[in-house]
Amino acid sequence: MKKKILSLLAAAMMVSTLFVGCNNTQQTPDTDTAGTDDTAPVADDAGAGDASGQTYRVAYIARAQADSFAAWLANEMIAEAANYDDITLDVFDGEANDEKENTMIENAITNGYDAIIIQANNGEAQRPYIEKVIAAGIVCIVTNPRVDGIEGVSSVDADPYEQAAVNARAAVDQIPENAKVVVLNGPAGNFHSVERRNAWQADCFDKRPDITIVAEDIANWNKDEAMALMEDWVIAHGTVDAIISMNDNMCAGALEVVSGKAEYANVLSYGVDGTAEACLLVEEGKMTSTALQSAIDLAALNLDAVHKLLTGEETEINVDIPAPLINADNASEYVEMYRSRGLIS
Amino acid sequence: MQTKPSRRKGASIMEKYSIFLVLVVMFIICSLLNKNFLSAGNLTNIARQLAVGTILAYGAMLLIISGMIDLSAGSVLALAGVLSVSFYKAAGSLVGSLLVGVLVGVVCNLVNALMVTNFSLPPFIATLAMQTIARGIALLYTKGQNILQLGDFIVFGQGEVFGVPTPIIFLVIATVVIWYILRHTRFGRSLYAIGGNEEAAVASGINVILQKYKAFIVNGILVGVAGVLFMSRVNAGLPNGAIGYEMEGLTAAIVGGTSFSGGVGTTVGTLAGSFIIGCLNNIMNLTGVDSYVQQITKGAIIALAVIYDIKSKNRKTRKVILVEEAGTEKTKG
Repeated sequence: MKKKILSLLAAAMMVSTLFVGCNNTQQTPDTDTAGTDDTAPVADDAGAGDASGQTYRVAYIARAQADSFAAWLANEMIAEAANYDDITLDVFDGEANDEKENTMIENAITNGYDAIIIQANNGEAQRPYIEKVIAAGIVCIVTNPRVDGIEGVSSVDADPYEQAAVNARAAVDQIPENAKVVVLNGPAGNFHSVERRNAWQADCFDKRPDITIVAEDIANWNKDEAMALMEDWVIAHGTVDAIISMNDNMCAGALEVVSGKAEYANVLSYGVDGTAEACLLVEEGKMTSTALQSAIDLAALNLDAVHKLLTGEETEINVDIPAPLINADNASEYVEMYRSRGLIS
Repeated sequence: MQTKPSRRKGASIMEKYSIFLVLVVMFIICSLLNKNFLSAGNLTNIARQLAVGTILAYGAMLLIISGMIDLSAGSVLALAGVLSVSFYKAAGSLVGSLLVGVLVGVVCNLVNALMVTNFSLPPFIATLAMQTIARGIALLYTKGQNILQLGDFIVFGQGEVFGVPTPIIFLVIATVVIWYILRHTRFGRSLYAIGGNEEAAVASGINVILQKYKAFIVNGILVGVAGVLFMSRVNAGLPNGAIGYEMEGLTAAIVGGTSFSGGVGTTVGTLAGSFIIGCLNNIMNLTGVDSYVQQITKGAIIALAVIYDIKSKNRKTRKVILVEEAGTEKTKG
């Protein structure tokens, strides 16, 4: 009799796991990141609830919460979701693994979410699974990056070309004549890195054939890899006039190497992302400029879009966040923004 | 077939010092490929860049010699580093922050040792688990965000003492200490014995469990120091920093002659192995070699090092068999 009861209990426990999400992270907003922000775009339905009292379950599948930007975006998504009475947001971590991310998409379909927001690790690897979401009749948004060519999917993204182009257009006039520059790229084949590099080519190097790229290499978005490259480049090429980086982390790494060196006192440096560290460096005059890729804006637009799609107000939404240039003129505003969110002390 | 004594002596010297000969040849080739290679600035750069990886390699070497392995070094380094940085920002104490880093490294490795010895988990699995756990804790603690504004903490990784970069000073100290441990302490000798034949080590009265704990503790100290150096060098507490660094440590140890089968490895060999890889990276950057080609080259070097290790072990085994056969024939005769 005892064995039968235990068996029944075990079976009940196993069945109950079917109704519980796996790899689920917190839903309650992080008080450090919640709060108003002047730079966030207006999300018209923020705080609104569906008049019928219906609530919607939304799954957000993050690329990798180990990635500081992806982690910031996930935190902002949770904070923004708190502004919607009729949305419950569950965040899942794809761990920068296509297999895991695809599994999570499938699980989200099985678990009957009303909407799934996907931050693809690799657009082509996730494409068939995004199509499954659409085929299942579930509202689907792809964000950061967009995955083109899927009918019925909405998107919220930043334009990586424009993020680099705002820097490149400024650099055309700032970089001295016959300058020597070094270029730091993100991972090979990464869409954002490739597009940013394309922007620099078209909007700066093609317009300034006198500029010589003395060294260019991949630093995989990493600060320490960029440092090692810059240390060797300083030996190989002596003083350079500008550091062109496809993200702020790598730019900051290169700047660590030349910091305090008299011959590099006037070096120009450009990045993308507008991280807290970069904003501080620009404010201190150590970095020339960067472009903001605002997780706050992305989160606001994603939640606004998913709410409109779920309530039937829209059937498809495709929108990009702006890429404001951060330079010495306005860096303080962004430092203050990060300070208000507890990311800078 | 009898070989001349001089030829046997020459072959023996080649086997014993081959790694250093490779390093010397490499230095010569690199200096011909780029005029800046042998400059003081460049050699200092190489040593500075290698410091973290080599310190990790010493820990990896100790564990491999004793028949174990550590796949968690990169993650524990990150955890130790971010907690060390946090402590410094809160308390302003450089010594305290270094101790925190070391303590975190030791605690994580004590857990590894517990899993390996008391629960008989294979070190591969135990440290793989710790790799995920430590990284998760680092990310949870920092909410995935980098810790900035380190202030004077950077002195560990970016300071100088009498013109010598501080990472190099840490590297020298670690080299001397590990060399002494392996060559002149009972603990060091016991690691070779355990790695060579654990059953024989037990039979000879060595407290294998205790020595394994000690090996993990020493590894933990090294990883903790490496974490402090890494974060101060990059001037940020990076919870997702040093991903894959355990492989760098393992590679340097293996290229330097440490054998995966256990019982074999030397401190200077590991240092030489680390410098071979470091010089390779450096000369490829100085000469602008494509990054894809760099990856292929590094992989090929690792494969060659392991092939050489296997072949030289097979040669030694054949020698032992030949000597035994010769002894048996004499007895019969």
